[in-house]
Amino acid sequence: MLFASMGLAQPPAGGPANPGQTLGFPPGAGGPGGGGFGAGGAGGAGRVRSSVGSQGPLPEHQAYSKETIAAGQTLFVQQCGFCHGRDASGGESGPDLTKSQLVRTDKAGENIGQVIHNGRADKGMPSFSLPDNEVTSLVAFIHNQQDQAMSQNGNRKGVLASDLQTGNAEAGKAYFNGAGTCSTCHSATGDLAGIASRLQGLQLEQQMLMPRRAQSKVTVTAAGGKTITGTLAYHDEFMIGLTDSTGGYHSWPASSVKFKIDNPTDGHVKLLSKYSDDDIHNLLAYLQTLK
Amino acid sequence: MMRTKSALLALTIALAGTATTATLNAQDANFLLHPSPDSWPMYHGDYSGQRHSALKQITPANVKDLTLQWVFQTKASGLKSSPILYEGVLYFTIPDKIWAIDARTGHQLWQFNGTPNKAFHIGHRGVSILNGSLFYMSPDDHVICLDAKTGRVKWDVVIADYTKGVWATMAPLIVGNHVMVGVSGDFDNLQGFVKSLDPETGATQWEWDATPPVGTSRSTTGGNVWMTGTYDPELKLVYWGTGNPSPVLNGKPRPGDDLYTCSIVALDPETGKLAWAFQPSPHDTHDWDAVETPVLADGDFNGEKKKMLMQTSRNGYFFVLDRTNGKSLLTTTFGPVNWSLGVDKKGQPIPNPAKEPAPDGRIIAPDEGGLTNYRSPSFDPKLGLFLVSASPSYSLYFSKPEDGTYGWSGADYSLWSEGILEAIDYRTGKIRWSHPLSGRGGAGVMTTDSGLTFTADAVGNFMALDTSDGKTLWHSGTGGRIDTGAITYELDGKQVVLIGSDGVLLAYALPDAPERAKATTTK
Repeated sequence: MLFASMGLAQPPAGGPANPGQTLGFPPGAGGPGGGGFGAGGAGGAGRVRSSVGSQGPLPEHQAYSKETIAAGQTLFVQQCGFCHGRDASGGESGPDLTKSQLVRTDKAGENIGQVIHNGRADKGMPSFSLPDNEVTSLVAFIHNQQDQAMSQNGNRKGVLASDLQTGNAEAGKAYFNGAGTCSTCHSATGDLAGIASRLQGLQLEQQMLMPRRAQSKVTVTAAGGKTITGTLAYHDEFMIGLTDSTGGYHSWPASSVKFKIDNPTDGHVKLLSKYSDDDIHNLLAYLQTLK
Repeated sequence: MMRTKSALLALTIALAGTATTATLNAQDANFLLHPSPDSWPMYHGDYSGQRHSALKQITPANVKDLTLQWVFQTKASGLKSSPILYEGVLYFTIPDKIWAIDARTGHQLWQFNGTPNKAFHIGHRGVSILNGSLFYMSPDDHVICLDAKTGRVKWDVVIADYTKGVWATMAPLIVGNHVMVGVSGDFDNLQGFVKSLDPETGATQWEWDATPPVGTSRSTTGGNVWMTGTYDPELKLVYWGTGNPSPVLNGKPRPGDDLYTCSIVALDPETGKLAWAFQPSPHDTHDWDAVETPVLADGDFNGEKKKMLMQTSRNGYFFVLDRTNGKSLLTTTFGPVNWSLGVDKKGQPIPNPAKEPAPDGRIIAPDEGGLTNYRSPSFDPKLGLFLVSASPSYSLYFSKPEDGTYGWSGADYSLWSEGILEAIDYRTGKIRWSHPLSGRGGAGVMTTDSGLTFTADAVGNFMALDTSDGKTLWHSGTGGRIDTGAITYELDGKQVVLIGSDGVLLAYALPDAPERAKATTTK
């Protein structure tokens, strides 16, 4: 069940163990997926010092007071917890923030604040009008959860690259050049050369199935026959807007002009109903060879 | 600031007191059985869940003139409730807050602020009314009875423990002397239920449990009802959809159908006894609860007069049942569905074991958000069309042993989705027309007898469509996301259509142009 609009979905994937509960959820009740990293006692002074496994160095997060983190926790559970999980490790539809690169590179809320205020319409996240002090406390809590998660052994969460190694690269190559029709737009030596060095695991698989940040082009023919081409900036039933090559924005009532949208993901959408699970795993195995 | 607010509040309470003393009916539950045109006295407007109004002042011919009458700003965000209207007053909610406002002008009569609490505040569907009392569920699982005139609390009972992971969003279903409620939540392995409370005291009259007690071996938990049910006064049955089983994506610890999760159940409102059950998603492993509105309608089905129950379910299937016994009349999909092996003799989909979440992922349609969800559908009985805000979608579902057997127990990632209003012919399940919504919408649907469909797209346009063909006849950009369903009523001879957009309520009606024009000419 969910309330907000849906975008990326990344529910949690923990087990029943639930260390450090502080949300008022009794031991054993578990957070979403059972990963309730406590904030209490983990403020500035108690900050963890190193990560575990191959997660790289801990992020350079600003230190916040215990009180700020606790205030952030209350607000997070109320406003963010349903989608992102009450421990920030993923809920219905919202990604695991403890694994988030955006959170990792956020020092003092400059990234997170942007997302809170503007939302991410393309991923189904609404914008929130929150005062600065509340944004700060949310940032403090999210940072703390990430630091805790990176320094903690235990149940694995999410999908690892090693989970996805069930495909056959040869079969994937045949699909790429054959039934999948991938080669009509893409080339292993062209746009996809080195793709496996840039993206791995689930990220690569998601990008393979549905490219993010792919921008649509649009050509608008206005009354009088004048045409203008640009990047699609807005489109609903009633309006069409584009950004031209100089960055200027133009919009028209959709009924008053003719327009043609070229969406580079159309081909990917068409394939969604055709893939078998094996096709996907094979295709991923093939793309992983393009290092 | 604080002082101004409380002074205003005192004043408005006094006004409200004088204005309504004589009118709040002390014993009349009849208004719920036969809502008058100047009311919208419960979540769905009436017991049927059709969200179809008999009002006809606004028509396909004149809807282009629809204009804004007033706006109410909550100064909060995230309206997801259907306001109720009774005796000229609108009541609506967000988590922890209730407003009572004058339906003629949009000015505030009173505001209730609940006790701050740590439960999920993801949305709130509204309050219910009986005998001058409002019934409200707080996020932390209290049922609170308030004086509709003042917002003063009469009683407050706790029906579940929010610290275990359940919270409340629904507007209670009131039938006779029963206030029926349930809660929300599936991040924990908990037993879903419907409870009936005494409207005078809040005492529990009965409880129906969706699943065996927590801890029962090889058995499911879950089945919370989330949303307001519907009621057939002739058959004396209430209908509820139940939520998905837990653990959510891992079905191994709960073999079998997992009754009564993902089910449509008919209960006796006097006792809570189960009359029948039908299961839209046996052994669900994709979070597709079946809590979408069970819509009740009477009409012809294959030449026979039938008392029907219809549901567009989150799992992508449209079901038509005989609501006297729960037997299937029609089962069909209303968008891309790839997780079943077909339909069994009972009309229930057969889940494909190969499409259960797996360590290396499975591509699944629809995604976790479902082919539809909480957003209310509408049924136009004249045209025989069931209108639903659909979301064709694909996703990847994962689950592995390390994900455990508690709560979500896996992970899923939506790949792509779109939003389309679908008009389904209930006799065949065929889609008569489709209307794109510029993305996955959050708005419900409401239809009127004049042949209009009111809904909203995903970018904040409130729209009126011709119900016969889905063509847009009017729209208004509201500047906010619309996660509510429209309601309509007639006050002082004027039909009003009301919609909530983000934190704002907007009331639209036809202009008084003819009268004004007359006044000008006589001068």
